[in-house]
Amino acid sequence: MLDIAVTGIGVISPCGLKKETFWANLKKCQSFVDEINRFDASLYPSRIAGQVHQLDVYSPISSRLVKRIDIFSHMALVASNEAITDAKLNLDDIDKKRVGVFMGNALGGWLFAETELRDMYMEGREGISPYMASAWFPAAPQGQITIYYGFKGYSKTVVSDRASSGLAIWYGAKSICDDKVDFVLAGGMEAPITPYALLCANTYGSLSKNNSNPKKAYRPFDLYRDGFVLAEGSGVVILEKIETAISRGIKPYAFIRGVGYSCDGYHRLRASLDTGSLEFAIEECLSDSGFNKDNIDYICLDGEATVIGDFLEAKALKNVFGKKLNDISLSAPKSMFGNLLGAQTSLDLIITILSMQNSLVLPTINFEEKDPYCGIEPTPNIVIRREINKALIISRGRGGINVVLCVEKA
Amino acid sequence: MSIKDEVFSLLGETLDVGIEELKEDKSLYDSLGVDSTEMVEVRIALKKKLGVELKDGEITNKQTLREIISIVESKKRL
Repeated sequence: MLDIAVTGIGVISPCGLKKETFWANLKKCQSFVDEINRFDASLYPSRIAGQVHQLDVYSPISSRLVKRIDIFSHMALVASNEAITDAKLNLDDIDKKRVGVFMGNALGGWLFAETELRDMYMEGREGISPYMASAWFPAAPQGQITIYYGFKGYSKTVVSDRASSGLAIWYGAKSICDDKVDFVLAGGMEAPITPYALLCANTYGSLSKNNSNPKKAYRPFDLYRDGFVLAEGSGVVILEKIETAISRGIKPYAFIRGVGYSCDGYHRLRASLDTGSLEFAIEECLSDSGFNKDNIDYICLDGEATVIGDFLEAKALKNVFGKKLNDISLSAPKSMFGNLLGAQTSLDLIITILSMQNSLVLPTINFEEKDPYCGIEPTPNIVIRREINKALIISRGRGGINVVLCVEKA
Repeated sequence: MSIKDEVFSLLGETLDVGIEELKEDKSLYDSLGVDSTEMVEVRIALKKKLGVELKDGEITNKQTLREIISIVESKKRL
């Protein structure tokens, strides 16, 4: 069993740029998905998304730095700043060689790349910013965070589609267990609302095309689902040993207790119809955490909202938990704001922790008609009151990358 | 506008800092922490906006601003 405490939370999301706003807006159980209007997306099959607003207003990052980095690094820096403040981490009192940064990302920073490459082709080699080389790649935010704060500890970036930040959080927790570092900033960031990144995401084919009704578009497990909705943002948590938190006088939010992971090993894009691999990841997570199936109060679902994706997730859960699944609250609160791809698991973790703190289960919105083939009702549409002590978070990346985290309330 | 004023204005815009933060007797590194990548931006801006072409390493972040202005002035006279 892992014994890693979560002591700080930072979140940049379509429904709020601070933990408090994020939670207050989620409790409204409404959609924060809108039409994309920051560029002409009218010819894209899916042109709706959960979008971050007013980042510059809340950002403490200097404009001199902001113009040299992509927005995905900017969001990660602001989320990191919030998490550090929330954890009351006094940076003057800690050994920065013992602080690591573990981030997940799927696509890289395309807004910077697209505009700079355009300028290079238009104006020649002097048209491109010299910062292009260090701005676009998935590990850029990890680098910017370490440079900004002077952190020098063991750090990594994970690229595993929608499972990226789940793996990053596990990697960070394990690095503390292995005594490589004392503190970890773990999470992810994604900025896919750019002309090229949106095109790539559309090519994937799993996005909702319900453009005429953005607020109703993301409807996991509903009979009339047609895919997930893209979103941008960042989530960062501070991880440390419980002993470290106690010595600092900090009460943790929750503990990361275990992880299970597996690959379907089946197809580059599609998940295997045999759900044995996802079931193995869930069983491994339960085994790693030392919890039995009766102990789990809540499962934060992946909720891809495709016909096949939700069916497979529901099938795996029914196979693992059997009738016990009826006693567990299930939901995909991301239905309110969209899926942040490589950053999504970090937001799912933050949502699960805040749900534990408030003894509430956030719902899956837009659930109107049960799909008999899925056969689960993932807390439809309204918040329910429930004590949550132990929870699982399920993340599935494209092509069957499965990561399951187990979290326990502190 | 003198060349010195033009260089100050260009640096302020390129580095996104106020003119008052630029110190003539200090290097850009010492006064503002300007790194070598930012110096590439400065060199490109000098070429685009003032028509002054400089080779790699001809101006650096370790030279004082006075030295950089002097190099730009000498290039402009050519």
